[in-house]
Amino acid sequence: MCDYSGKLVAWMDHELLDSEAADVEHHVLACAECRRRMDAYEQVSASLVAYCDAAVDQKTPSSLRHWVPVLSGVAAAAVLSLVFFLRAPIKQIPVRPQETLASTAIVPETAPTPFKAVHRQRSLSRMKTPDASWTPAGPAIQIVIPEEAMFPPGAVPEGINFVADLDIAADGSAQGLRLQP
Amino acid sequence: MSGDSLPLILPLSHFATDSCEATTLYRELRRPLLRYLVCLGLSSDEAQDVVQDAFLSLHKHLVSGGPRDNIRSWLFRVAHNQARNRQHTYDRRFGTPLDPDLDAISQAATPEEVVLEKEKFRRLGKAMRLLTASERECLLLRAGGLRYREIGEVLGISTSTVADTVDRAIKKLAEKCNV
Repeated sequence: MCDYSGKLVAWMDHELLDSEAADVEHHVLACAECRRRMDAYEQVSASLVAYCDAAVDQKTPSSLRHWVPVLSGVAAAAVLSLVFFLRAPIKQIPVRPQETLASTAIVPETAPTPFKAVHRQRSLSRMKTPDASWTPAGPAIQIVIPEEAMFPPGAVPEGINFVADLDIAADGSAQGLRLQP
Repeated sequence: MSGDSLPLILPLSHFATDSCEATTLYRELRRPLLRYLVCLGLSSDEAQDVVQDAFLSLHKHLVSGGPRDNIRSWLFRVAHNQARNRQHTYDRRFGTPLDPDLDAISQAATPEEVVLEKEKFRRLGKAMRLLTASERECLLLRAGGLRYREIGEVLGISTSTVADTVDRAIKKLAEKCNV
């Protein structure tokens, strides 16, 4: 390597003293290797300036550009999720929104209770704790029993009719029979 | 009553002179500062903020009667120190490859020139990442037009150290870029 190679860059940048600069200039005129190196250094320096100009002229920071595909994917997923949720539960929307709103409006101090839990509790309480004082509003079916079926022949008291109240369950079976004098 | 107006006139005239000087420096040095900060790794918004803060500091420096010599290196030093404070983003530019889809490249005349320019920038970016932080800073300040003495003032190193560092960095770049 040429002895003057260590001073070429400083000579190109006009950073050498006048005496040193004249010496290097005299050498460069005679050394083809130093002229080739000098051309290479000038080319790299110009490329670096263009590189910096291109970097500062970018409209979008490169760090954001790396996020563009990710952000696009997230946006697409969000749109698809929104479309899915708007289409799927349409039938459920009118079922109980008013009860939910009403409960939160009436009892603001307590935390809102899930709809299904309340519904399940209400149905269970009705089935497991039957009201003992419940009586039917009236006889479902009135049956007239023939006197021959209840008394032996000749022992039937005259002027008396027996009427029975029969309770019929929902499945059609008889659950209770009460005789009324 | 002229005595009452004297304290008001002097600071205002002093402020106007400094503002004019700061405006001239702003027009001259804003882009080199931005270019240096962006190439150090700051985002465009961060570089704008740092430049704005640096010129605000310059205005206060001039108003307070600070020394007016070496203002250019003073500005670069303030901006450089603020960039150092944002260390978490400091090596972003040369830590990741520069996006080759640059607007400046797209303005080239032919597709062949675009391809060659992209390839040249790709190799240059890769070579810059192989340099030390001090070598990168010296080269970027040199690309901004600063003399070796000014680079030394910005980085806090001697002029001879700057000369050696620049010489070493240029040779590395030329070797890695196969120039």
